[in-house]
Amino acid sequence: MVLLDTAFAFLYQLGDAFAFLVLAACGLAVVFGMMGVINLAHGEFIMCGAYVTVATTRAGLPLPAGILAGALAAGAVGMVLERLVIRYLYGRPLDTIVATWGVSLAATQGTLIVLGSSMPGVGTPLGSFTLGSYSYSTYRVVLMLAALAVLAGLYLAFNATRFGTLARATIQVPHMAEALGVDTRKVYALTFGIGAALAGLTGGLYAPTMTIVPTMGATFIMEAFVTVVVGGADIFLGTAPAALVLGAVRAALTSWQGQLFGQIGLLVAVILVIRVLPRGISGLILRERA
Amino acid sequence: MTAILETRGLDKHFGGLHVTNGIDFALGEGEVHCLIGPNGAGKSTFFRLLIGEYRPERGQVLYRGEDITALKPFERVRRGLSVKFQVPGIFPGLTVAHNLEIALQHHLEGASLGAEIRRLLAFLNLADAAGERAGTLSHGQKQWLEIGMAISLKPRLLLLDEPTAGMSPAETFATGEMVQSLNRDGVAILAIEHDMAFVRQIAQRVTVLHVGRIFAQGTTDEIVANEAVAAIYLGEAEAPRRTADA
Amino acid sequence: MLRLLRRLEGPQTLGRGPAFWTAFAGSLGLAVAYPWFADGYTVGNTAYFFCWVFMALGLCLIWGYGGALSFGQTAFFGLSGYAYGVLTLNVGAAYGFTLAAVVLAVALSAGFAGLLGYFLFFGRIGGVFLGIITLSVTLAMERFMAQTAGPEWRIGAARLNGYNGMSGMPPLTVPWLDGDLVLFPDVALYYALLGLLVVTYLALRILVNARFGNVLVAIRENPERAEMLGYDVRRYQLGAFVIGSALAGLSGTLYTAWGQYITPSSMGLTAAALPVIWVAVGGRGDLTATLVGTLAVLGGFQALTIYGSQYALVVMGLLLVVVVLAAPEGLVVGLMRGLSRLGRKAPAR
Repeated sequence: MVLLDTAFAFLYQLGDAFAFLVLAACGLAVVFGMMGVINLAHGEFIMCGAYVTVATTRAGLPLPAGILAGALAAGAVGMVLERLVIRYLYGRPLDTIVATWGVSLAATQGTLIVLGSSMPGVGTPLGSFTLGSYSYSTYRVVLMLAALAVLAGLYLAFNATRFGTLARATIQVPHMAEALGVDTRKVYALTFGIGAALAGLTGGLYAPTMTIVPTMGATFIMEAFVTVVVGGADIFLGTAPAALVLGAVRAALTSWQGQLFGQIGLLVAVILVIRVLPRGISGLILRERA
Repeated sequence: MTAILETRGLDKHFGGLHVTNGIDFALGEGEVHCLIGPNGAGKSTFFRLLIGEYRPERGQVLYRGEDITALKPFERVRRGLSVKFQVPGIFPGLTVAHNLEIALQHHLEGASLGAEIRRLLAFLNLADAAGERAGTLSHGQKQWLEIGMAISLKPRLLLLDEPTAGMSPAETFATGEMVQSLNRDGVAILAIEHDMAFVRQIAQRVTVLHVGRIFAQGTTDEIVANEAVAAIYLGEAEAPRRTADA
Repeated sequence: MLRLLRRLEGPQTLGRGPAFWTAFAGSLGLAVAYPWFADGYTVGNTAYFFCWVFMALGLCLIWGYGGALSFGQTAFFGLSGYAYGVLTLNVGAAYGFTLAAVVLAVALSAGFAGLLGYFLFFGRIGGVFLGIITLSVTLAMERFMAQTAGPEWRIGAARLNGYNGMSGMPPLTVPWLDGDLVLFPDVALYYALLGLLVVTYLALRILVNARFGNVLVAIRENPERAEMLGYDVRRYQLGAFVIGSALAGLSGTLYTAWGQYITPSSMGLTAAALPVIWVAVGGRGDLTATLVGTLAVLGGFQALTIYGSQYALVVMGLLLVVVVLAAPEGLVVGLMRGLSRLGRKAPAR
């Protein structure tokens, strides 16, 4: 029974870490996988989603609707950013990362100026449940399910819809897609918007569990980076397995040595993995299959 | 004939697709040899195996009798094997003279470096462009600049991947003269080439690659007269020249 | 020696000929005379600007010349800063030990950069991945140092002190004829840093115009061709990374000695953005542009800070976006190109 207890506790930890990594990374991974662009303002889209979720929920909207509002708001901001900045930097991925860093800095500090150093949050809903001698947060389980739902939703969106087909065509052979009458600029703008909306969704989902501060995006950004680096360019073959592997590393180290070692272990694991797999897990899988 | 470069049973496959299939090939010291074949014959893959960008699944690459299969590209270059890529590989943001300096600084410095740069610029018909950024050169001039960098290393063996791609007939002919002049100085040359006029101009021997195997070998005249070779090119002859190789 | 000096000029650096060196000597003369005209606080503040420039020059070498995105300069800044603190708090400042502590702290950063760089460059990590991994490293170090508040986090006599950071370490102290010369943030430290800066700047000019620099820009322009000219690309990239990171470490020790404190936020996301801004705004492709740009942006930043540091940071962020969009080569590089074009036209008139 004690063994079962411990096993479930570990499983819960693993699920929690997996969900955090998937949700932190998915928006970044979509934009990177589809457009080859790393968006350093990713954390600020998460922050944006969290702020909108908290504001609307406190104004009386039910939490799920608030989360949706957060995702939509971040998506809209993302489309605007694409129009104003990112569009002019296609084909210059290194410049894009630098420019979005500037955006991130201005957004964090701008929020600090306008909205102050913190915002009263909303409590974590759904309470907790007890299994054996441990007690668990029910909302964390909802987050795990949300991570799986996001993966499933992305899979459907990119494989079973017309937009998905066009997007993949645009990414693989831009000139051909253009010749076939696809408005590639619109596809890029929408893809970037989806990435931003996913970040906003993550912010909304985690908003009830965190203190709402302008710098909260930084909490996610490192995990998002390492997941994308280990995963490689493909979101389904890369991000999901990477989150699973890294989640296991983190859960194991966390339960052994605490939160901090979980994070540092993550980074060391990443640096070791890339020495062996420069193109990430998806590179490995694609090579095996090809 | 002693071989400067030799491959034994060279196999490379991507997943289930064998791109080169047990290639046994030898290039003699001081020989000019052309490698031809229809699109998808495995020429580019074979080339990348020779320069070390790909590792074969099976087989060996030998350079002057030494097994270099496991060596990295720069280690092969240091042994005297030099390369010119299909897409001109130059340093676009630097001046033409600076491009050559970076190649020459291995074994020259000071005044003799400057003199050698001037000699090469004249040899490459680039004397007037010395101070221009390499990225602003015409396509043919970029090809020459890269040939210049490749021969700056004083190689014993020069590998050329479609050296005349995108060149006018006059530029192609001038390139052929450069190759022959290098060969007179004792450099062995292996060129992948589509342009049969160029092959006729330079080649002492020709190898035809087809579906990853050596299909035929001989002098240019023998190959041109070979009806089986003509047959594998049928349907290819009208195809655009510059489609991507496998 | 003469051969080395000839390398002060070359294809890799803007600014050559008598006009440039006259301007250089003039600026240096002004910098030397400056303390006679300014009060002690202002001089100490200028010395504070000098502390940061080494880190910017290091990033210029790695990013501008080598083409490798290193967003983790602050990791080495913090590592060396903390190392200086731990060493001097334990051993003290007697017998010029602070100078030895600087050397040791910088060597530690160089060693760490060597280890990290080995995995990155020999793993053939490049492009955006290099940027986000180095950034992750500095963020992880910030998180680590931020949670060392408890009394169990101490190295000898030095308490790491969590988010509040470490303080109370001695300033740089030089053994002098009649007792120690303590370099408080004042005229003496100003001259010491100015001298170090000039030497570093000239040495880097020589380095980038020498063979090493030739290969470095070749790798930036076309790594495949560079390898096919027989250069082991990984070694050169690693070399530039170690040198550049060591310079960031030097900035860290000097900063710690200047203010006698160091905090984890010096390794955070905002801090990590600043060197990128200095170098990008000045012009990453040239050492002189980076030097001038860094000092100008630092001065501008401080002038804006009177309205509140968050306002200054918003301006910095937007400045970075505008520079990348409108002047990707950098503002100072653009200006220098313009000047040299004017200079060339002048005699013709």
